[in-house]
Amino acid sequence: MTEGKAQADEFIPAGLASLGIEADEVDLAVMGAVHGLLWPPILELLALDTEDVEPERCPDLSRAPE
Amino acid sequence: MTAALDLGLRAQAAAIAGGEVDPGELLDAALARIEQRNPALNAVVETFPERSGEMLAAAPEGPLRGVPVVIKDEWPLPWRAQRFGAAELMTPTSPGESGPYRALRDAGAVIVGVGNMHELGAGSTGNVSVYGAAHNPWNTERCPGGSSSGPAASVAARLVAGAVGADGLGSVRFPAAYCGLTGLKPTFGRAAMEGHHMAPLTTLIVSGPLCADVGDCRLLSSVLFGEELNTGEAAGLRIGVVRDTVSEDVTAEVGEACEAAIETLRAETGGEVREISLPDLDAATLAAILIINSESMSGTRPEQLNQLDPELSPIARGTLKYRMLLPAAATAQAQRVRTSMRRRLAAVFEEVDVIAWPTIPAPAPPLDSPLVELPSGTHTADQANVRGAALANLTGIPSISMPVGLSDERLPLALQLQATWGNDELLLDAAEALERANGRRWVESLPPIAEAETTEA
Repeated sequence: MTEGKAQADEFIPAGLASLGIEADEVDLAVMGAVHGLLWPPILELLALDTEDVEPERCPDLSRAPE
Repeated sequence: MTAALDLGLRAQAAAIAGGEVDPGELLDAALARIEQRNPALNAVVETFPERSGEMLAAAPEGPLRGVPVVIKDEWPLPWRAQRFGAAELMTPTSPGESGPYRALRDAGAVIVGVGNMHELGAGSTGNVSVYGAAHNPWNTERCPGGSSSGPAASVAARLVAGAVGADGLGSVRFPAAYCGLTGLKPTFGRAAMEGHHMAPLTTLIVSGPLCADVGDCRLLSSVLFGEELNTGEAAGLRIGVVRDTVSEDVTAEVGEACEAAIETLRAETGGEVREISLPDLDAATLAAILIINSESMSGTRPEQLNQLDPELSPIARGTLKYRMLLPAAATAQAQRVRTSMRRRLAAVFEEVDVIAWPTIPAPAPPLDSPLVELPSGTHTADQANVRGAALANLTGIPSISMPVGLSDERLPLALQLQATWGNDELLLDAAEALERANGRRWVESLPPIAEAETTEA
């Protein structure tokens, strides 16, 4: 079993249970596949150093940032 | 009258205005052509001849008076709620006057049908929908692109000359690319958006036109924007290119076609090509995915997910549930990446006028197995496609996709141009310059289903 698969096997059922969301085997298989694709880049995203990025307050997406 | 259907949007409008074409006969011809060609495409999921006739009878003297168009199943109509290509939405919908509907009506256009779309807008291929897959007119065994699959297939097959889609993560540009059309993702907030079930929440989705060429795209964009988008000169164009996955992890055919198109555009405009750096593009793509996922789940209660319609696809059911587990910290971080990319782009657009890269890394994959083979390996088309599209949605900038070649299998290849906020006109001007330099070769290429009829006519 890969580390990612093991993480998904724990994380997904636990997360769903905490929210009271039911899932069958097909749901879990789909979620496992999505998790395998998204989770590693999510961890990389969280590891990005963005401390110097001053947040835009109410950004206007139709214009360049101020 | 079938010959009039083969004209572009501008030419149809001009022929009606000049009295050469009767709009009632054109409407009948469009409905007949949908009946004839749509069974092979599943591009149009509903027609309503009586309602279309009423629109025509009431059509004002606008720029599209009497011209038949298709609108994506993402927008409500006064007589029909949108279904978003799905058996169920997380947000209730109802019939009504959406912004694009009003814009089309006030321009005199006649909505002749609703276009199919990828289920819940959540795919770049168009092979999953409550209505069944839409098919690519260039090869009906191939994906038409998504999520605006039906609008694109409708225009490519010349059922109509123009269609309105929506683009949240490339959903106008992918089907435009797969179907050999020109499609514009406008600057955020510039095109009509009212009535969309996510309009109050979304910071990524825009309405956008799909047409055969740039001139038609300009006309339909003007209608959706509510202002005339004038033609200008893209002289001395400074074209930015990024030597990164988005432009290099593509098939050889895509790479060569896009390189050639960029050089042609440079020569045509007397411009120059400059290499630019856009670090963290992967993070930007993920940021866009996280933000649109969190926005789409706003207001969703966990218990709703225990009562999902059984006709929702297994992918949609699993994905909707998984979205509830995405960490808030990641979405907050995504907003910081958005800010960082917006500032970076603002600096880049001081140095260049447009950024150019392939719209899609590979031509349309098979409907029954939407995978693409790239130098880095085999990927789902969705995974590979989104990395070239998400930046525009994340940051709000406009982007256009246009055809620049055909593969050995006669499937369209496409180039994407992106410009600074509000400079949609420059994109149209640049794309028109490239179209002109190519002798309109690619915009006038027809898929087999449309070629056969044109020959007969």
